[in-house]
Amino acid sequence: MIQGLLLALAAGSLVSLQNIFNTKVNERTGSWATTTLVLGMGFAASLTFGLIFEGGQLFNLLNMKPWYWISGAIGVGVVICLTLGIRQLGPTYAISIVLISQLGCALLWDSQGWLGLEKVPFTFQQLVGVLIIVGGILVFKLGGRRPKEIKS
Amino acid sequence: MRGLLFAFLGGAFITLQGVANSRISQDIGTWQAATVTQLTGFLMALLILLVVRDGNRQGLKQVKPLYLIGGSMAAVIIFSEVTAIHKVGVTFTISALLIAQLCLTFLIDTNGWFSVMKRKMKLPQFIGLGLMIAGVIILKF
Repeated sequence: MIQGLLLALAAGSLVSLQNIFNTKVNERTGSWATTTLVLGMGFAASLTFGLIFEGGQLFNLLNMKPWYWISGAIGVGVVICLTLGIRQLGPTYAISIVLISQLGCALLWDSQGWLGLEKVPFTFQQLVGVLIIVGGILVFKLGGRRPKEIKS
Repeated sequence: MRGLLFAFLGGAFITLQGVANSRISQDIGTWQAATVTQLTGFLMALLILLVVRDGNRQGLKQVKPLYLIGGSMAAVIIFSEVTAIHKVGVTFTISALLIAQLCLTFLIDTNGWFSVMKRKMKLPQFIGLGLMIAGVIILKF
């Protein structure tokens, strides 16, 4: 469990850094130019690591299913929804909802085991844990800022 | 109302991305999954870029090179997230990931690192992080 926890923490820290770096790029160019650059860099890095750790095996895509090829569209959907959501609601409210929705969907996914992932049974304890995290997100995001700041 | 829907869908897509990568990695391997999804996402974004043409060459030259390669972190992010989901499930992975993400953003904001605008954090932000960590502990123990 500790290994899974550490990996998740590492991923979260990198997401935070990446968001800041991407915002810096976005300040100077459009959001599609930024998205293209970000995904292009991600592809180059994945290809490099893949070649280092897997060698030629990287191109062995025997069990590929057709929908795997369009799964990259999800990332494009993320960018469109976040951009439009933030434009309409402002960053503070939009990101609060994004975070809560992320958690809610995670809970739903675990309890249903969709796409053949291992099912994690839904328990009352899990519900309480998630609700407390949601409370924390709301306090963190909406607490102690003047209403003016929240709106803009 | 539309803003709410977009924000909600955005969050759903972020989780779906992690789940889809985990599923794909079961069949073809984790690095393969990262490479394929980033490549197809890149091609799709490029196509949209060619239509909307919102690029700004001059602007890009003013960005520090370090920030331009930020996207490459996705390789490590995907690998870590996928492995974590396989080990501890989606809910726990996303919860821990969000806490680390908010904690680091919080640190960067209060210290003004990477020349972001310095923001003072007050008691509610500490309480919020405390609640989130308590929630994750309840989730697993």
